[in-house]
Amino acid sequence: MSYRHSRTARAVLRSLVPVICPPEAVPLGDAIVDHLELTLAVSPAVLQRGFAVGLVTYDLGALPRYRQRARALRGDDAERYYASWEHGATPLHVQLARGINQLMSLSCYEQPEMMARVGYRPGPWITEVTQRRLTVYRDDVTRQQAQILAPDPLRPGVRVKPERA
Amino acid sequence: MVAAALLEGPRPPNVFTRADIHGDTVLDADVVVVGSGAGGATIAAELAEAGFEVIVLEEGSYYQTRDFTADTSAMVRQLYRDGGATMAIGNPPILYQEGRAVGGSTVINGGMSWRTPDKVLARWERELGLEGIARDLEPYFARVERRIHVAPMDDEAIGNDNRLLKRGADAMGWKVIGNLRNQAHCAGSNRCAFGCPTGAKQSALVSYIPRALHYGARLYADVRVDHITRHGKRATGVIGTVNGSGHRITVRARLVVSACGAIHTPALLVRSGFRSPSGQLGHNLSMHPNTKVVAIFDEDVTGWKGAHQAYQVREFQDQGLLFAAVNMPPSILAMSFPHRGAALGQLMQHYDRMVLAGMLCEDTATGRVRTINGRPQAFYQLADADAANLKRGVVLLSEMLFAAGARRILLPFHGLAELHSADEARRLLSRDIPASSCEVVTVHMMGTARMGTDRSAAVTDPFGLVHDTDRLLISDASLFPTPIGVNPMETIMALATRAAGHVIDNAARYLS
Repeated sequence: MSYRHSRTARAVLRSLVPVICPPEAVPLGDAIVDHLELTLAVSPAVLQRGFAVGLVTYDLGALPRYRQRARALRGDDAERYYASWEHGATPLHVQLARGINQLMSLSCYEQPEMMARVGYRPGPWITEVTQRRLTVYRDDVTRQQAQILAPDPLRPGVRVKPERA
Repeated sequence: MVAAALLEGPRPPNVFTRADIHGDTVLDADVVVVGSGAGGATIAAELAEAGFEVIVLEEGSYYQTRDFTADTSAMVRQLYRDGGATMAIGNPPILYQEGRAVGGSTVINGGMSWRTPDKVLARWERELGLEGIARDLEPYFARVERRIHVAPMDDEAIGNDNRLLKRGADAMGWKVIGNLRNQAHCAGSNRCAFGCPTGAKQSALVSYIPRALHYGARLYADVRVDHITRHGKRATGVIGTVNGSGHRITVRARLVVSACGAIHTPALLVRSGFRSPSGQLGHNLSMHPNTKVVAIFDEDVTGWKGAHQAYQVREFQDQGLLFAAVNMPPSILAMSFPHRGAALGQLMQHYDRMVLAGMLCEDTATGRVRTINGRPQAFYQLADADAANLKRGVVLLSEMLFAAGARRILLPFHGLAELHSADEARRLLSRDIPASSCEVVTVHMMGTARMGTDRSAAVTDPFGLVHDTDRLLISDASLFPTPIGVNPMETIMALATRAAGHVIDNAARYLS
């Protein structure tokens, strides 16, 4: 888990939060980018490298048209520039835009506030059903746990070495 | 307190993690098993009970049920190889997931437990020389089902998403069956893919691994096996590295079992200098390509309250298609949508009215695992016929969900608008939809070290012993000569149990 966004990558990603995420998630921008970093840290090394290079390219690619880097674009300019990659001229443009969208959407809806917004509250549900299972089916559960360890040799009567102490 | 005691106790003393390994270590055993999933845990438990000294090495970490929380992305980071972002190269690329934790992929699968279909076993007998395998496997299937408690779902654990799937299948007059799953009264938390937090799913982590440990096996987690040691054609043990510390672990063993799955087993063998005269090592990769649709209903679904894949639509099994409802947390679902900004927010407001339904396609193409700089890389090109079958599956699934009352259906094809009626769905059949536009994922990788009697065509013998080597056995889905069209866990476990029986029957040879 060694991946760290470069300063450029972080700035680009931060500027893309209003483009990718719903408006209500924009105040969570730093947390979303932090989460994205955690996700990338466990992804394949080649993906990490590709993503880092892609973000630098994305940042610099805005210069000819907007005379500023992508990280500095706001509002409609940021939207139009991202869309130009989303429907881009090459598969690499499209792939990078899609990758940013996927990772940022994931990180966005991993925020507790966003999960709560869509009604997803798994913690209390897990607690409730766990207790119910262990109450209603207590005997069966205990029986299954005992079965897991009970002797049941695959070849009855065959033991290749003496029993260990 | 009673509840906690029922779930699990402290970490067993014969489980070792990176924190317990303080320097380079040399160990001796009768059998070393690389991998602790469906194949590795099963064979380890059977051999340990028979009196073999068994060491299991697992690259991933050791977690217990109490470690499985509602934090989806933390679970993905901890339990999935590469955070679930591993890709088979092709057009379209296929994202595949593998478990990387003690218990392997059984910790993150849906728990579907099906025997190998009769027609598949008949084909293996007829075309691949595996005579009598259907009859041979029968008692092993029964044994596995008893051990991991294969059973239909309790009705109260079935959620609305699955009930809607069944309603649609019934409305179409299609065959739909209750899924058999390895669960002891599944509570319906719908967190199978992120480590069962209730302990109900009888993954290898809570079944065969505890059994193996109870009968004396030792388990080393956080150890990546670099290569199998050998003396000529005889496997003599393994050398691995402890993740994080870099300490070296050497295990000297009389029998080496590779059970690291259809992607990593061929790479381990190639890294270790083993070659198959068949030329098939790493070839014959099948993937059961999956795709999905998302249906939005007027009624409340709240699909995360209820069991995962409680039903399976079997109407098109003969044509290589299975359908099921597979709820996912909002983050995973949002990730799959092309929407963004306000449009994403508006769509996600319907989260509790969505049914995510997926399909498994029995593939006709095969790919390959190449070992590049010691690392496996899968290559797989979706066949035109399979792409057409996936498209047909999307149409059928959509028709069924409209019959259940869906108002809108989101498609897995890039650039295509959503559907609003069954007629629109049927019109897709006549549209030219490039395969490359389809989002395809999988969790079933098979076939890269296929078994068979003919050493010029198969990598291993019918028990998984590698042809033209000595004391090297494979125990995972690499062995499958063909895709099996259903979830592979039970087949892997049955083959592992059968292989254990063969080793026990020939113990004198393997202990010499």
